[in-house]
Amino acid sequence: MQRRDFLGLSIAAGLSVAGLSGCSKPGPLAFGIHPWIGYEPLYLARDFGWLPETVTFRTGTSARDSMNGLLSGELGGAALTLDETIRVWSQGTELVVVAVADVSAGADVLMVRPRISELADLRGQRIAVELDGVSGILLLKILEVAGLTRDDIVTVDLPVNLHPEAWARGDVDASVCYEPTVSALEQEGGVRLFDSSEMPETIFDVLVVTRDTAEQNPRAVRDLVAAHFSGLRHLVRSMHDSIYRVASRQGIRPENVKSALGTVMLPDLAANQRYLAASGRVEAMARSLSRLMVREGMIPGEPGFRRLCDPAFLPRRLS
Amino acid sequence: MSVRWRPSILIIISFVTACLTSEIAPARETLALGVFAYRSDHIIRERYEPLVRYLSEEAGVDVTLEVLNQDQMSRAVAANRLDFFLTNPSHFLQIRSERSLTGVLATLVRRSGDNSTASLGGVMFTRAEREDIDALGDIQGKSIASPGVHFLGGYQAQALELLDAGVDIRRMNLVRFVDTHDRVVRSVLSEDSDVGFIRTSILEEMALEDPDLLAQIKVLNHQALAGFPYAVSTRLYPEWPLVALPHVNERDVRRVASALFALEPEDEAAAAAGISGFSPPADYQSVEYLARTLRVPPYDQMPQVTWVDVLNQYRIWVFTILVLVILLLGSSLWLGRSKRELAVQQKRLKRLIRDWPQPALLIREGVLVNTNRAAVDLLRYASDESLHGKGLAVFSPEYQPDGQLSSQKMAQTLVRVRGGLVEQCEWMLLRSDRTEVWVDMTLAPVEGEGDSEPVILCSLYDITRRKQAEQRQRLAASVFDHAREAIFITDSHGVVLDANDAYLEITGRPQKRAIGRLPPLPLDEGSSVFSTARNQGFWSGEFACKHHNGDNLILAVTISSVRGDHGEVSHFVGIFSDITRLKEQERKLLVMAHYDALTGLPNRVLFSDRLQQAMALALRQGVRLAVVYIDLDEFKPVNDAFGHEAGDQLLIEISSRMRAVLREEDTLARLGGDEFAAIVTNVQREDSLEGLLARLLGRVAEPVWVANHSVEVSASIGYTLFPQTENLDGDQLLRQADQAMYQAKHRGRNRYVRFSAPSG
Repeated sequence: MQRRDFLGLSIAAGLSVAGLSGCSKPGPLAFGIHPWIGYEPLYLARDFGWLPETVTFRTGTSARDSMNGLLSGELGGAALTLDETIRVWSQGTELVVVAVADVSAGADVLMVRPRISELADLRGQRIAVELDGVSGILLLKILEVAGLTRDDIVTVDLPVNLHPEAWARGDVDASVCYEPTVSALEQEGGVRLFDSSEMPETIFDVLVVTRDTAEQNPRAVRDLVAAHFSGLRHLVRSMHDSIYRVASRQGIRPENVKSALGTVMLPDLAANQRYLAASGRVEAMARSLSRLMVREGMIPGEPGFRRLCDPAFLPRRLS
Repeated sequence: MSVRWRPSILIIISFVTACLTSEIAPARETLALGVFAYRSDHIIRERYEPLVRYLSEEAGVDVTLEVLNQDQMSRAVAANRLDFFLTNPSHFLQIRSERSLTGVLATLVRRSGDNSTASLGGVMFTRAEREDIDALGDIQGKSIASPGVHFLGGYQAQALELLDAGVDIRRMNLVRFVDTHDRVVRSVLSEDSDVGFIRTSILEEMALEDPDLLAQIKVLNHQALAGFPYAVSTRLYPEWPLVALPHVNERDVRRVASALFALEPEDEAAAAAGISGFSPPADYQSVEYLARTLRVPPYDQMPQVTWVDVLNQYRIWVFTILVLVILLLGSSLWLGRSKRELAVQQKRLKRLIRDWPQPALLIREGVLVNTNRAAVDLLRYASDESLHGKGLAVFSPEYQPDGQLSSQKMAQTLVRVRGGLVEQCEWMLLRSDRTEVWVDMTLAPVEGEGDSEPVILCSLYDITRRKQAEQRQRLAASVFDHAREAIFITDSHGVVLDANDAYLEITGRPQKRAIGRLPPLPLDEGSSVFSTARNQGFWSGEFACKHHNGDNLILAVTISSVRGDHGEVSHFVGIFSDITRLKEQERKLLVMAHYDALTGLPNRVLFSDRLQQAMALALRQGVRLAVVYIDLDEFKPVNDAFGHEAGDQLLIEISSRMRAVLREEDTLARLGGDEFAAIVTNVQREDSLEGLLARLLGRVAEPVWVANHSVEVSASIGYTLFPQTENLDGDQLLRQADQAMYQAKHRGRNRYVRFSAPSG
């Protein structure tokens, strides 16, 4: 439920979108965002004033806020993971993926007690997982790799920020989590058995807008995407500066930011073009994910999208 | 250990400045590490001496320290006097652009207490009590102290941050460059400058020596960056790079590098330098971007983008645009030229119509819409505006010469023209000065596009002179026809070409006998009169000829020559009148003037005339003549007794008897009343004369039957002869005869007496 909100809950608290009237019609594009290392370029862009007035951020505490905003029509777009995108779509709001913010490459981790040395050992173990978040997807993938079914294990559906407690109490044998829970569990003697780097280009964090917004306010969408790439450029080029700024916002140490950045891939403009192409990875992954989710009963049925991605909003080049 | 040969040691020695007080060994196998003196020389030397010693030990080579400012370092690098140097990133970029380097060996990691960082930034500060300077915008216009343009944290980072906030300090501020960070702080504290620019960590270092410092100043645009150990006003950049120069051999570089990375924070050398060691080389892209944005060296010169570059990059576009531009230009030129030609043509046409000497008008819906200059002139108006909008009938008299109303006639004509006909007629126009002008008018419809009402072109031709000539001709013809005088025209040979009715009437010739023949000519001269007329221009004369019916005619003729274009005589015009009766009258008057009406005898005038002639003849022929004066005796009683009629009868009878006595060549004249005179020519002998006179007396004395009475009268006659000794005229002779007649009266009447000169 609270994927990608492991940091900055307090920052976002005062910026609740509640009470704000939705306006996905021309006017500023209301864009739902919540703290996540992959979305930091957007925050940097906003802080440096590179975000035009056509876009306003509605900062939520978690992806759930953004999903609800999209479904209620309050938001014209949001930063989500690919599976979250599919969930929103399956509930009736058509979305367009306009950019890939990051690709998880080790950010999502399976932590286990040291006695568990291989995936097969998971059989019969209690695994803490946030089922309707991206962790659920990772778990499904892990089971796939391990050749197990959900019945072979005991899933403990638990928000990720509660995992360390459950671990300490000895309630669980394994946890599907991400930073900073990973570090916390490591200190408790947890061992990293599997992470998203072993299934590259599977977990995407994307920028989506509703179909309506894409059609009626394309300028704002272009401004949003351009701002993301401006922020990304600063992040890459001025790493010495960015890590302190990210650390400040997330309330962690700069070294942790560095290691967090090491667990995501931040695709540049050219990579985005590649990902968003009609035959690109995102499109293919979305289909495979939606099949999986239907099979596991996470969504009622396949959304049946023909085209999820639209690279038309990517800037031609960075000025 | 590398042996580095310095080719020009003399130059190097001369280069070494006095400030380099350290024992620079002249040895060739030492390595020189240059450190940029961003603070006072002695502070830098103090801090970095331990590091140099550490390197010497760890790397196994002699490393010497050279503390240099930026200029000195640049020169030293240029002279290859340094093997390694440590300086700020901006300065490094400048040196790198000036010569190739092997690149950055390591990036310095600074330490502040427990924290360390490989980032640096700029600090903007002012005195704590300056309440007027708070935000970045407040800095505009304030005086600024900075160590120098090439200081990343001491100038460039701040300049970019302010530029983003809309403050261009390079244009709007007084910036003092005071070489070192320490002096910047002093300058602000001493109120010489409003704002100071220094790099991060300086304030914190200085605060160690002067704990009150942080209370005296405030940092502007403070960036809250978690985990960054220093106060900072700008975004962050990588810390100083330690750079190896290319000439240093690889082994030395490796040794130095490994020594650098092996430096632990706890090491005495690190502690002295205030660093926690060195990290792998950072990415200096952000500094380059900064330098490019600010256009500071080495990016102060914009790369020259040549046309060729642009052409290469946008070849297709340039070509397409070029082709389009050429097409556009071509078509514009073509259009322009056509337009110009059209305009010229239109102008020419307009001028042609306007200046065409023949008046022309355009009529639409019955009114004039266009007129040329000739039309305006024809109607004698000042401008064409006076004509526009009016019908042509306005400029015509109310009635045309044929009696039709002008407006009505024009309307009918226009209807026919609208029907597609071309109309031509003569028309009378009225000028502005009320004079009339005859025109030959041609009206033709002009097919216009989309005009429901066709435009009618009307051209006028002034035929007033022709009309006047026609009138004159008609007049002349009428004069010719109706004149009472005969008029004829002949060719150059005198053969009649045309003749009027009077000609036929006077001559009595029928037409066919008049034309083609000679006109009546004087018999004696004939056709020669034409020669005279040819030479003198005319001939005139009177002569007799015959009427066609044989009557005599006297004609008074004048023939004039008519000359053609080249002066040659082409025709003759003759005019004559019948003066027969005039001549008769003239003859009668002549008789009345010289003869006595009663007796028919010459009167005194003719007598004198004849006497004159007879005297001249007598003198010429040498013969004599006699002048005889005859006066009737006792005539008055007859007149009184029987009346004047009887007297007249008596005179007629007596005259006739006397005439019969005289010879034919002699003259008898009645001088008046009962007095007569006679001229007897060729008097051979006086006795024959006397016989004649006696016969005269005898015939007069015979009784005369008048008024049923027989009357007897006698005559007294005096005579004289000519020539005489004296030279006498006719009057004297007649007077002599008169005196002799008185002698005869005196002597008893009925006798004749010869004049004899009174003696004594």
